[in-house]
Amino acid sequence: MSSRSLANTIVERVRRLVEEYIVTVITRDSIMVKYANGEVTVTQAWRDYVVSIYMAKAGRISASTFTSRDPVEAAARTATLIEKLQPSPLYAPLPQPTGKPSSTVDPKVRDLSLSGDAARLVEDVDVSRYGDVAGMNSLEYSKAYMMGSNGLDAEFEVTSFSGYMRVFRGESSGQWAWVSTGYEPALALKAIDKAGELASLCSTLPLERIASGTYRVLLSPMVAGNLMERVAFAASAGSVIFGFSFLQGRQKGDVIASDKLTLREIPLDPSLPGYRSVDDEGVATRDKAIIERGVFKGLLHNTKTAKLMGEESTGNAGWILPRIFNLEIEGGSLREEELLEALGDGIYATNNWYTRFQNYLEGTFSTVTRDALLVVRGGKPIACARRARLTGRLPELIAGIEDLSRERWPIQWWEVDTPFIIPHVIVSKLGVTMEG
Amino acid sequence: MVLDEDMLRGFVESVSGPGFDYVEARFHGGRFTQLFFLNGVLAGASTGDDSGVSFRVLYNGGLGFSATSDVTREGLRDALSRAVSSAKASSLRVKSRVAVSPARLGSAGYRVLEIRPLDDLDVEYKIREVQERIRGLEAPRDPVRLSSYTVVYNEVSERKLVVTSDGGVVESVIPRVSISYNLSATTGDRRANRWNMVAGSGGFELVDRLRFDAEMRSDVESLYVNLVKAGSPPRGRMDVILSPEIVGLSVHESIGHPSEADRVLGREAAQAGLSYRRDYKEPVIGSSHVTVYDDPTIPGSYGFYLYDDEGVPARRRVLIDRGRLGELLHNRETASVYGVESNASARATDYRSEPIVRMANTYMAPGDYRFEELLEGVKEGVYVKKYMEWNIDDYRWVARYVGLEAYMVRNGRLEEPVRDVVLEINTRDYYSSIDAVGRDLEFSAGTCGKGEPPQPMPVWMGGPHVRLRGVVVR
Repeated sequence: MSSRSLANTIVERVRRLVEEYIVTVITRDSIMVKYANGEVTVTQAWRDYVVSIYMAKAGRISASTFTSRDPVEAAARTATLIEKLQPSPLYAPLPQPTGKPSSTVDPKVRDLSLSGDAARLVEDVDVSRYGDVAGMNSLEYSKAYMMGSNGLDAEFEVTSFSGYMRVFRGESSGQWAWVSTGYEPALALKAIDKAGELASLCSTLPLERIASGTYRVLLSPMVAGNLMERVAFAASAGSVIFGFSFLQGRQKGDVIASDKLTLREIPLDPSLPGYRSVDDEGVATRDKAIIERGVFKGLLHNTKTAKLMGEESTGNAGWILPRIFNLEIEGGSLREEELLEALGDGIYATNNWYTRFQNYLEGTFSTVTRDALLVVRGGKPIACARRARLTGRLPELIAGIEDLSRERWPIQWWEVDTPFIIPHVIVSKLGVTMEG
Repeated sequence: MVLDEDMLRGFVESVSGPGFDYVEARFHGGRFTQLFFLNGVLAGASTGDDSGVSFRVLYNGGLGFSATSDVTREGLRDALSRAVSSAKASSLRVKSRVAVSPARLGSAGYRVLEIRPLDDLDVEYKIREVQERIRGLEAPRDPVRLSSYTVVYNEVSERKLVVTSDGGVVESVIPRVSISYNLSATTGDRRANRWNMVAGSGGFELVDRLRFDAEMRSDVESLYVNLVKAGSPPRGRMDVILSPEIVGLSVHESIGHPSEADRVLGREAAQAGLSYRRDYKEPVIGSSHVTVYDDPTIPGSYGFYLYDDEGVPARRRVLIDRGRLGELLHNRETASVYGVESNASARATDYRSEPIVRMANTYMAPGDYRFEELLEGVKEGVYVKKYMEWNIDDYRWVARYVGLEAYMVRNGRLEEPVRDVVLEINTRDYYSSIDAVGRDLEFSAGTCGKGEPPQPMPVWMGGPHVRLRGVVVR
């Protein structure tokens, strides 16, 4: 049964039971090759069918997901559930669809994903010349069909080519990631080269213990991507309502960051796999600034959060809460080879993980550096350090951005969920802590 | 179509011939219901199922994995064919051949008992039961008020059927309930959060047993203490008493994770990282007061299972024995590298996930001390009761814990509260500085992260109160 027929069957079953509905059927084919110790550890392939149903009746709302292809069972369960709920404070009527569906598909990614055969991927992104390397390389093709009681009728396809590699040189390592909608082995190899370059650089430098204190810090796109994604999440109206945002109480037009920072949500960039021309409610998406030259441009909304807060949808639905599709930060004035000189004396953090908040409402966080952590003096890398943490508050971090690189990298990995085009970022002041 | 043992076995047995060393099929499904409440009001609900089948195939030392939600005969045939081609793709570049260790495999079925079966209770009743417990939570605790509070009730009934080409057949049904919440409190221009979760395996009786409402009210009080009463944190070297909440987290992070054999072997290097146990050659990591177990068989626990996802019977694993490093956690793949038997640590989050080495319920064994006796030995120090922020490096050597609620200890007495105490310490110093261990034992629930695609995994983390001598806080 095609996605359209399946959605139709479900709609036939639910349309008399509820007042509003949207049915989405997504088919996904993907392959992934994982590496460790310089060799393939496992090759994986997936073929998924996911049916999601939004329903509303008398202000009660539910959003359900089924991998079962039995639409009768799926519809019946959801319709039964909604009768027993209570009116939601988030409820808003579904909007009239305004967007036209469109796709971003690379036929090579699509065909390789559908074939389930990873041999070509292993050949084209040949990691054997990097020696001791670990990571993953993946392809995905997905096709979505959405139809709703608001007249929504949209079908679109997206492809994705993404991965990351960690290259080891003795005790030193570097890690980098890539993401694209196109089949670009050169992009992957450029990222792995970058990881190898950082690992090699660190392996030639002495090890130094950093004293805990405040430093000028150069954040790689990997690190900046992780922290700035948190800033973007804080701009979701859902985060504000649910108490996870340091932007609670901030108004459009408030200066909240350095004038060097422009953070944008870019669903319409066809090079990134978060590409969407219509959101989950059928509203046309648009590229938009979250922060423009330091000025807060407003929260991200679906119709529900927009109604609750007296705003308009920004085309970021999520059936229940807003979602983010792709992100970018505008580049700055520096060429990559000028970055260390611009940093002067400070720390170059090339990768991080495990960002955790002591206080979401104040944006108080720490994150752990990993891989190459360079000590820079007089614009030169003079040593490498290990196991330092970056600590601070997100409001102060974004206020302290001094400059950014012109060159930007498309990043997505374990610690950067959202496809993100992002430069290097120099921050004037950030806490660095070491044990003891 | 009914998926049963014979059908999965048929697929497993259809793969044969030179080079094929191992085939495994797993049906893995979960029916779930989620209710989320905003400021005590039901804001939305979700229900559904997440079911499918995965295959693993080992061909000439190359490992292939495939999964699908299409459980028609044709869909399964296609998925198996993808697993075979994936294994062949892996085998082209493999230098260290993957193998599975011989194991005593189960031929068994089990089901966690639900005293109040989740499927027997109406969702309206469940909504009411949660709402009744959180009523009045928003009442101001002057001068602090809750600016918002959210509660997420989640139930899932997980069914698995594992069939392996070397004779393992295990079917299981494990229902679980979790309740998580976020409290946001303000006073004047100061704000603070507390996020927490309680969870276990069983039926709706867990809503009472886990006492989430009491936890929430206690956490409101903690926010009040943090925002209104607490002073600046102490700095310097001093004695520290840690609560079970923090001890449980620390043994999970700095003993459990580094004991995962796949990390030691580097298979997780680009994701959740490596392990100090790759290089640490000393037999001892802590004082003789420290014993740490990981035990999947604790009844009612969030990480409960009796057979792992490769069909190996579960048992308690001894990770630290009176300060000495103990066994690693193994699945059959890592066990074959070490030449040992798997200790049943293979777990997969869902049908999309390969079974990898995971913890279940990791905890520090209790000792002899009453809490008052732990305090008595402290001239000047700090007691950290609850935390918010924590993290650890990817070698699992230096961890950081930041207290949400903490108190100074002077001459054996709890005194004024202090805010945001930071303990940043390496694993050996942490466990070596423990000189006394409480006789209590409490567990917290967590969702452990690992793998690619990421595999969130239900676990418990536990321990008693412990006393650390002369460690640096700031």
